[in-house]
Amino acid sequence: MLPQRPDPWPLVRRVRSVSWLLGCSALALSAIGLVVISSASADMSTDYEVRQSAWIALGLLVMAAAAAVDYSFLLRYAFWIYLAALAALAAVTFFGHEAGGARSWIGIGGFGGQPSDFCKIATVLLLARHMAEAQAPVAPRGWLWAASAVVVAPVLLIALQPDMGGALMFVPMLAAMAIVAGVRLRSALIALGVAAVVAGAIWIFALQDYQKDRLSSFFRPHADPLGSGYQVRQSRIAIGSGQVLGKGYGEGTQSNLQFLPTPHTDFVFAVLGEEYGFMGVTVVLGLLLLYLGNGVRVALAARDPAGMLLVVGLLAFMAGHVLYNTAMVVGLLPITGIPLPFLSYGGSFMLFCCAATGLMIGLDIRRFVNI
Amino acid sequence: MSLQNPTREHSSDWVLLNMAARLKWLCGVLGLCLAVVIGAYWYHQIIRAEHYERLAENNRLRVLRLDAPRGLIYDRSGRILVENTPTFRLMIDRSRSADLGASLAFAAEILGREERELRAALERHRGVAREVPVLLAEDLELTQVARFEVSKEPEHPEFEIATSRRRLYRHSFQTAHVVGHLGEPTPSEHDRDASLAAGDLVGRSGVELLRDRLLRGNHGERIVVVDSRGRLMGEDVRRTDAAPGESVTLTIDLRLQQLAESLMADKIGAIVALDPRDGAIRAMVSSPSFDPNSFGGRLSQQDWDRIVDAPGKPLQNRAIQNTYPPGSVFKIAMVVAGLAEGLLRPEERIYCNGATRLYDRRWRCWQSRGHGLVDLRGALQHSCDIYFYRQGVKIGIETIAAYARRLGLGDRTGVELPGESEGLVPDPEWSRNRRGYPWYPGETVSVAIGQGPLLTSPLQVAVMTAAVANGGFRVRPYLIAGGGKPPEPLGLDGEVVSFVAEALANVVENGTGRSARTPVVAVAGKTGTAQVVAQATWIRSEDLPPEQADHAWFTSYAPVEAPELVVVVFVENGGRGSEAAAPLARQMHEGYFSAAPKT
Repeated sequence: MLPQRPDPWPLVRRVRSVSWLLGCSALALSAIGLVVISSASADMSTDYEVRQSAWIALGLLVMAAAAAVDYSFLLRYAFWIYLAALAALAAVTFFGHEAGGARSWIGIGGFGGQPSDFCKIATVLLLARHMAEAQAPVAPRGWLWAASAVVVAPVLLIALQPDMGGALMFVPMLAAMAIVAGVRLRSALIALGVAAVVAGAIWIFALQDYQKDRLSSFFRPHADPLGSGYQVRQSRIAIGSGQVLGKGYGEGTQSNLQFLPTPHTDFVFAVLGEEYGFMGVTVVLGLLLLYLGNGVRVALAARDPAGMLLVVGLLAFMAGHVLYNTAMVVGLLPITGIPLPFLSYGGSFMLFCCAATGLMIGLDIRRFVNI
Repeated sequence: MSLQNPTREHSSDWVLLNMAARLKWLCGVLGLCLAVVIGAYWYHQIIRAEHYERLAENNRLRVLRLDAPRGLIYDRSGRILVENTPTFRLMIDRSRSADLGASLAFAAEILGREERELRAALERHRGVAREVPVLLAEDLELTQVARFEVSKEPEHPEFEIATSRRRLYRHSFQTAHVVGHLGEPTPSEHDRDASLAAGDLVGRSGVELLRDRLLRGNHGERIVVVDSRGRLMGEDVRRTDAAPGESVTLTIDLRLQQLAESLMADKIGAIVALDPRDGAIRAMVSSPSFDPNSFGGRLSQQDWDRIVDAPGKPLQNRAIQNTYPPGSVFKIAMVVAGLAEGLLRPEERIYCNGATRLYDRRWRCWQSRGHGLVDLRGALQHSCDIYFYRQGVKIGIETIAAYARRLGLGDRTGVELPGESEGLVPDPEWSRNRRGYPWYPGETVSVAIGQGPLLTSPLQVAVMTAAVANGGFRVRPYLIAGGGKPPEPLGLDGEVVSFVAEALANVVENGTGRSARTPVVAVAGKTGTAQVVAQATWIRSEDLPPEQADHAWFTSYAPVEAPELVVVVFVENGGRGSEAAAPLARQMHEGYFSAAPKT
């Protein structure tokens, strides 16, 4: 029973509310992001809102392309895509140029891009294929170890850049996919034990001092009022002083007087909290929830385990970013470079989010094809 | 499906159903996490909102003080005694300096200071953001200011000249004890007065202390918006202008004050001049003096110690804070007491052969060869001690003390200046209560010529003299124009006062006060020579070591007919009043009355 290639028109007709809601919430979030970025970067020399508009436009193309490509085709070549992504990642890790203390950017005509974002999709693709094979009647033994190995390679490369936040986001992805794939409790505990040992080793051998400072300052926010504890404090002041309705567009004193660090990227949600208050926070979190919820609907309706796992992996990345970023700017988690999907300024992460959305829409469109 | 194919438990549908169940469970976990996050935002944005709003305002707003210029101090004719003068401070904006070391070397060269000192000055501002100009040096000279301004473009844009004000005491030493000086407030003063800011100076003595609150005015405020690095952004949120301090006009006559200071230049002591009609102080000099300008800026502990411990203790105001035995000027009080009580008869004569015996002791007159037969007038004229020894015993210590106090001795005069001493007019009650042993009758003999435990300040002597000059009224000396009180009648018989007045005129005309006589104006006065140490044998004062030499007094007023000015001269260890003090009083009267007509 080979999947037959569907003609384009019936395909478009199969686009139902799920896909519309996915696309529209993504677009709405991007639009809100643009407004907040333009307010936060009003005094900066770069026109971030113009650049972000370009990225959104490019992202829509990527989204359409990803929706058009049959995911089973991508799954078939997942290993090679993964290898290519790893190679690109290794190239920038060792030869890329430095920005903000991390070697992770490749220049594309003045715009920066991070292969680590591309690598996220490649890893999810390979894992989805690998874990789907584990659903066979005779499951291969030790599939979790192989899956972990697939994740460890990019994580180590990204951690070496060093981009701890980017590396960290692979953890919820692997966990969510493994749980959905039906990992046994005993294997999971063993994997966690090994991960703890590896994390300890990373703390001792791999972490830079500034990263250790960030992590430890999270537990003692008043110890170093001008260091990373200062950022948490200023971010909380921004959010708290936004109150219920916020101070309004361009009126956020914390962001416009530069008390907030990187207000257009990682702290964009703090700017939103300051200028639009709890109301703005609730609306944006609601839209993000709408997006994730519709992603889950796509996963639940998937026609095969690989498709479901693919969507779960992509959603876990998105959810991880959403939870970590919103928790970090309000001081629940240590500050590290984790952007907020669709809202933070950043090209390749925007492209990742759009590609993921496109893949989910493509899956939704093809849900009946194989039956 | 599984029923159709029971051998294939892992059919595609079965697998998908299991996966979906686990996915739903994961969604629950995600929901819980999101709820926690929402809860955190709820807590910070709604429950703690006001707290964070305050913090945000604290971040954004900064209060800048606008200093109020301190009020000026004028003499009675509107001549400026104390004013404010602009000073220039060198500020540096470190963010505009290409090479901080070169900038400091450049500044050090112009200022003529060590580069290392400037580096130390800069070190104090290490916590300040680089874009905020910080203080590098104070009190620049105009030529230095010019050199910095010229080099500003384009080589040294990092330097800025800021102006501020500094207190200028135009007549430094000459008016020091009257106008006083400024100093840094103590921590407890800071606590009590919220209007004081770091770096403010407050009055520490004299009129500066007396009228401090008035002179200081009220500072204004600028509330500005700053960014995270402390740079000013946009317009002021609010601005309250400073209310300059009020000016103060004194009763002091600058020219007389300057004259008095020059007369005392190489002496230790005090000169007080006041108007006997209302107590307005025309001159008050204490010597040695100090330069209040040296307190204007920050004063090192070393400088402070140098001023406080200088020989002669220049910070003391000897006119009101120190008390001394009055010597023979006390005889004025003796005569008033004796006449008012009817115990002295002017025509009664006593024979002075240079010494007498009272209470089993030998008492000497200052004139060892004696004055012969002297009546009351003659006793004052020649300051005969024997006469007053004997009359003192007759009048009695209680009466002497009562009149001395009524005339203002041993009692604070009430002048506005802080730190006035009370002095001492002793009597038996004082002896029992304070010394703890009875009054010796022999002490009355000493008190009768202004010795013994008697202690008076030059200003108290001036008040006593004013009472003779103005016909029997007690004046309250005052320094601030308009601050006078009407003199209080002492209840003395007019004839008593006029007798004393006539006798004092005679002292200058024919007696011990002859060196105060001047063709310019008719002067009345009384000399005093106070012993510093009790002497078993008579030694001429000139032969004593300087610190044991007699204190010289001369109290006077002029013109005799309608007195306008009381002058008291006191020279510590100066020797005889007639030689060391009276000539200075003459110069004071000459200076005052030969100048332009006075009111």
